Amino acid sequence: MFGYYISLALRSIRGTPILSALMIAAIAVGVGAAMTTLTLNHMMSQNPLDRKDSVLYAVQLDGWDPNEAYDSNNQMPWQLTYKDAQALLRSDIPTHQIAMHRTGFTVEKDNSDLRPFTADTRATTRDFFTLFDVPFIYGGTWNADADKSPVQQVVLSKETNDKLFDGENSVGKSISLNGEPFTVVGVIDHWNPVPKVYDLNNGPFNDSEELYIPFGLHRRFEMYSWGNTNGWKNDDSEGYEGFLQSENIWIQYWVQLDTAEQVEQYRDFLTGYIRQQKEQGRFERPLKFGLSHPSEWLVLNEALRDDNRVLGWLSLAFLLVCVVNAVALLLAKFLRKAPEAGVRRALGASRNAVFTQHLIESACIGITGGLFGILLAILGLQSVKHLAMGYIDQLAYMDWQMVLAAIGLAILASLLAGAYPAWRISRTNPSIYLKTQ
Amino acid sequence: MLELRPMLSAIWRNKISALLIALQLALTLAIISNAAVIVGDRADKMKRPTGMAVDDIISLTFLAIPQDYDMSAAVTADMALLREMPGVMDAAPSNQLPLSGSGSASGYHTKPNEEIGGEGANQFQSDSHFINALGMKLVAGRNFTEADMHVVGPNDNYTPSIAIVTQQFADTMYPEGNALGKYFYGGGDDHPIEIVGIVERNLGSWVNWNNAGNVVVFPTLVVGNFKRYVIRAEPGQRDDVLKRVEDVLAERDPRRVFRIETMSHHKARSYAGDNTMVMVLSAVMGLLTFIVALGIIGLTFFWINQRRKQIGVRRALGATRTAISRYFLLENLIIAGTGIALGLAAAQIFNHMMVSSFKQPPLTLPVMLACALILLSVSIVAALVPALRAANISPATATRSV
Repeated sequence: MFGYYISLALRSIRGTPILSALMIAAIAVGVGAAMTTLTLNHMMSQNPLDRKDSVLYAVQLDGWDPNEAYDSNNQMPWQLTYKDAQALLRSDIPTHQIAMHRTGFTVEKDNSDLRPFTADTRATTRDFFTLFDVPFIYGGTWNADADKSPVQQVVLSKETNDKLFDGENSVGKSISLNGEPFTVVGVIDHWNPVPKVYDLNNGPFNDSEELYIPFGLHRRFEMYSWGNTNGWKNDDSEGYEGFLQSENIWIQYWVQLDTAEQVEQYRDFLTGYIRQQKEQGRFERPLKFGLSHPSEWLVLNEALRDDNRVLGWLSLAFLLVCVVNAVALLLAKFLRKAPEAGVRRALGASRNAVFTQHLIESACIGITGGLFGILLAILGLQSVKHLAMGYIDQLAYMDWQMVLAAIGLAILASLLAGAYPAWRISRTNPSIYLKTQ
Repeated sequence: MLELRPMLSAIWRNKISALLIALQLALTLAIISNAAVIVGDRADKMKRPTGMAVDDIISLTFLAIPQDYDMSAAVTADMALLREMPGVMDAAPSNQLPLSGSGSASGYHTKPNEEIGGEGANQFQSDSHFINALGMKLVAGRNFTEADMHVVGPNDNYTPSIAIVTQQFADTMYPEGNALGKYFYGGGDDHPIEIVGIVERNLGSWVNWNNAGNVVVFPTLVVGNFKRYVIRAEPGQRDDVLKRVEDVLAERDPRRVFRIETMSHHKARSYAGDNTMVMVLSAVMGLLTFIVALGIIGLTFFWINQRRKQIGVRRALGATRTAISRYFLLENLIIAGTGIALGLAAAQIFNHMMVSSFKQPPLTLPVMLACALILLSVSIVAALVPALRAANISPATATRSV
């Protein structure tokens, strides 16, 4: 029976090509618009650290200006000062912990024709790779002493290793950063979390860094953050050492706490640290610190912006209009065929059978519309990607989840659109139509 | 107008279809009037004057490869080369690039040693060529001179003594309009900074900042291992200069890595989010209106087909073609009018949610009425095609099919 209904549906669609095309177009445009914005919003609200969400925490300390909160929402500063980061690193409570920031170096390879280039670089303590589960292709991270004293070692991203060493094992080889020799100790596999949850300072959808270097190199290279550095205190510190000891915030800090006990201990540790600093005249604001899971961190930092939510809701309203449009057109179409339905009913078809037949016809229109809708969504994503000028390059594609969602949405839309007209026609009294034949 | 009663009873017989059309129009009006108000808001934002000759400016950032780099000497040599380059009007070093989204800011006060409050301003460190290299207009006071310049390290404890500020910042600090020659101070600082010059405007580094347009310029060269230049080409020469500039600088000193962009590119990137909103919402408005129009055309055709016989009878009884067309147009107008009236209310409800949840601008009456009027015209035009076709139904139809 199902096959017969489908062939009936196809015949009916072919019988009214213009009306059918209008309905398919309405559903395609609605699904296309909705899927374009929903895909973007879906990608923007992902949590790439989902697997470790329950044990990872971003650390915030409120050591800001006693006179004013960091921002108007009474939010704590997003980053830490260098000296607080160094103090927290002395704790042995967390399973893993990292202090880090983004910076940049010029890169050269000796005896090579490769032009020197600038590379985004992450200065971090060695646990970065274990804490975030970053897979290595070759080698591994540097030794613990490299986080305290200047050791010129570097971990390359897969892309950088491809560029410099054609993807070969480069562990032990040397490259020049800012003109100084560094030894490659490891190469990580492609790793590019979207959104860039571990450092949202330069925009949530930026690429991961191209190089990773130890946290002990600050004084050696007088590194600054290629991100945000914020300050409030006008102190008389001089030189780079003065900057490191200042109240400027520019370091991101993450910890891994595996048990509830650890969390409890770490809270006590932070409370104790702030109390002790208060005695020294720092942290004059009310005692406050933050431990946020990656999922909470993304919400706090508003990775998904209001504009995207507006577009999401508007496109759903758009889809609703398209569905209403399709209901009106389907109703018109089915009522025109009412005599046929009347004959079927008179020949013994049940109301349910007539209803099913027409619902299947709506579903056929919906699926066709949905398929065109996916094409439109791909086009839509391409245009939005173009308009956004590189800000969302990593987001503007549909993963299989979104393709399935698009098909689901199209079928749902068409069934919603088809339900009333199909019900309406299944209720018509056959005798009226038989009389006029 | 005598047709009104039969018309209403005809609509009543098709009430579900009529309701669906009205509902579509109501939702559409709610969506497009809210989209229109956002589009208008963003378009206004993007239209703000930047105070600069954006189209002629090239920005250049370089990172020196050697750790110990004589930046001061490099800037002097580069500037001499750049300012002599054919096609270049002027060039200046800078710590940051306007409109790039990257910059530095501080809070300033009109009294010494203030700790609380202060007016945020975007700060630039450059020299006497900055105004000309960006195409800004000095409206009061004087430009910097070579004698004003100070070369300082990135962490030297140094506060400049003079500044050129934008009119907007001058007016915020001194609302009576007498800012020239007055002083301002950093937070908790008693070192006076004199306003020696005022430029008409400069939008500064961040277009989305609440204080965009508050800009102060200091006559300072901060040395380190990276530097930025702004280079203003003669009108129409920008792309030509852009091609040559890296070679000229690299030939003098190849031990550095350059990044060269146009200021138009920075501007477009800074506004990319707003531009995306404008384009996507405009597309939504256009498509939605189109879909609704198609729906009206489709449904009116259907009704007319359903009533071919009745139309034939009316024609046979002496109704003119105009009367038939008018009937369908009027019928459509009643449905569309109802839908749009509903839509006006829905638009207000939508807007209320937009304002309270998503910080979007409030819907103004003129925008809403303009959208309603446009939608009404579209629905009339959409009904026109089928209505004119209906008039062509011959009176014979009535007799033939009975």
